[in-house]
Amino acid sequence: MSRWAKQIETQVGIPTVCVAMDNIVHYAVTYIREYYTGMPLRFVAVPFPFTGQPKAVDVGYVTGKDMLNGGPLMASVVSALTSPLTANEKISGAPANESVEPRLLPPDTEDNLRALFDAKEWSDYNWINLPTEKKVMAMLRGTSHKPDEIIKTVTITGGARPLSVEKVAISAVMAGASPEHFPVILALATQAPFGNSTSSMANMVVINGPIAKKLKFNSGTNAMGPYNRSNAVVGRAFTILSKTAGDLRNNVNAWESLGSNFQYNNILYAENEDNLPDGWKPLHTQMGFNPDDNVVTVGTGWTSISSVGGSQELYPVHYLMRDYMSSLTASGSAATIVMDPTVAGLLQTAHGFKTKEQLSEWFSQNAEKTAGNYWGNGVIQSTVVPLALQGLEPYAGWRKVPNETMIKPFTNSRAIHIVVTGGKIQTTWFVTDFGMRRGVKIDDWA
Amino acid sequence: MKAQILAGLLLGSLAALPAAVSARPLPKNAQQTADSGKSASSADSAKEKLPFPNVPRITAEEVEKLIRTKGNVVIVDTDDSMSYGAEHIKDAVNIAYDPTVDVSNEDQTLQVLPGDKLIVFYCNCPHEEDSAPMVQEMWQLGYAHDKVKALQGGLTRWEQLGYPLSGTDLPKGSQEKGE
Repeated sequence: MSRWAKQIETQVGIPTVCVAMDNIVHYAVTYIREYYTGMPLRFVAVPFPFTGQPKAVDVGYVTGKDMLNGGPLMASVVSALTSPLTANEKISGAPANESVEPRLLPPDTEDNLRALFDAKEWSDYNWINLPTEKKVMAMLRGTSHKPDEIIKTVTITGGARPLSVEKVAISAVMAGASPEHFPVILALATQAPFGNSTSSMANMVVINGPIAKKLKFNSGTNAMGPYNRSNAVVGRAFTILSKTAGDLRNNVNAWESLGSNFQYNNILYAENEDNLPDGWKPLHTQMGFNPDDNVVTVGTGWTSISSVGGSQELYPVHYLMRDYMSSLTASGSAATIVMDPTVAGLLQTAHGFKTKEQLSEWFSQNAEKTAGNYWGNGVIQSTVVPLALQGLEPYAGWRKVPNETMIKPFTNSRAIHIVVTGGKIQTTWFVTDFGMRRGVKIDDWA
Repeated sequence: MKAQILAGLLLGSLAALPAAVSARPLPKNAQQTADSGKSASSADSAKEKLPFPNVPRITAEEVEKLIRTKGNVVIVDTDDSMSYGAEHIKDAVNIAYDPTVDVSNEDQTLQVLPGDKLIVFYCNCPHEEDSAPMVQEMWQLGYAHDKVKALQGGLTRWEQLGYPLSGTDLPKGSQEKGE
């Protein structure tokens, strides 16, 4: 909102006032003002939530009080648009730089340093390895890349931060990783920071290639549980480096209302490549990598629905998966189905899916939901509606049908990924709405 | 006593966490990557000078023919919404590219674009500076490389050829021209 308001004021020359929600407006008038716009924009605030309310409630907000100054809202709007600039508001120029942390902290006791890391929100609040220079140097020996090499520039609200190899090494040490994990973590760093939104966004990380066995990532029993060191520490490193590089601090830049427990480890596991049915390719080779390439793939989503108990002959497993998919947003057709090798085998032998791609296409053709269910989702409202209103099909057509009309929202079968992992203990699976980005080659970071 | 020992061990040896550098926005085109040298042929010096040379271009003539023959194509305008409202290629949809924020911020919207059609991004810039990053991001999202392209010469070239446009800045009485 600040961005658009600044654009209207500076480029078009129209006085502008921002109407923000009470829960977040203080962020706009402090952090955003200080670090992003470089100009004092005027705000008024209404209660939250705004969307999803009966119209009478929203009308009440407009006729009610400005939550910032307590006066009538519309009077505040008029005043913001018409009153002369104050001396403070006449200050213009580049935004202030953030304060710069020193590369080395001054010596202190362990307790004090741990307290400092907590106070700065530089951790996930689990026990960390304090990143001494000696430990960080040891971690850096896990790669041929130089410590000052910039992996990427992370754009944060109001600025940009170069993410160097050394900074990633610090996070890796804190997470408890070993130097042999470091190339995986560097590859992950190219995807940092992890996804974050106001609803419970989370991430999924899949390891493919020979490195999964070499570093003993778990792709068997309890692949997605707390039973493996490599899965635990590499997943955690992604959290720590995302929080620090992405400046994700609670109620400062991190605004998930409920949050997500998945963010502690980012659902990191390896694909069980040894137990894929014939004809089913590993995730990374589906993306065009060679089977011997070592690849880490990051997905982002919100929802994960687990099957319960074993699959039953009465109702084929892919039918049940399809039914569960009707609960997903279908935003961008994104879905990732994670299944035990026994389920994959069942789908191939009993139900004739010779490849993962055939199964994805079947889901695309058969997963349905009502138009009302589809449009009733907030993410769909913010991402799809603008394009539907501009005429993009099939969405424009779906806007015109009655709410109860069934639609097939997974229009892009390539966005439906199938990953096989687990210990062949039970025919279980997860249906998730995680959208997978293209994988990153770990070998490039060795 | 123990605390003193720990302090001594840590003396001058604790690496600071990544906290901060400049808060200034990225300059325009800052996301041009080092791919430049890898993909361009040394024999093709003109191509080497283009930003994002690994991003395939499509000519305005080719796009216009696809539209005219009802080909499976979606046109995406990457300018800001005000510029889009003022003037855009007829039937194009708007997904703005903002060089000051990471292009992945647009992922949720970009993924709405169909995977079975040719998607052509364009900008009002001479060398696809704002449309080419969107093409690269679509690849990251798993879209096929041959299904996503940047319009060579962007809106300027389209206008030069007199192809159909829409928008509020077009001659009064008609919000479309070029048909």
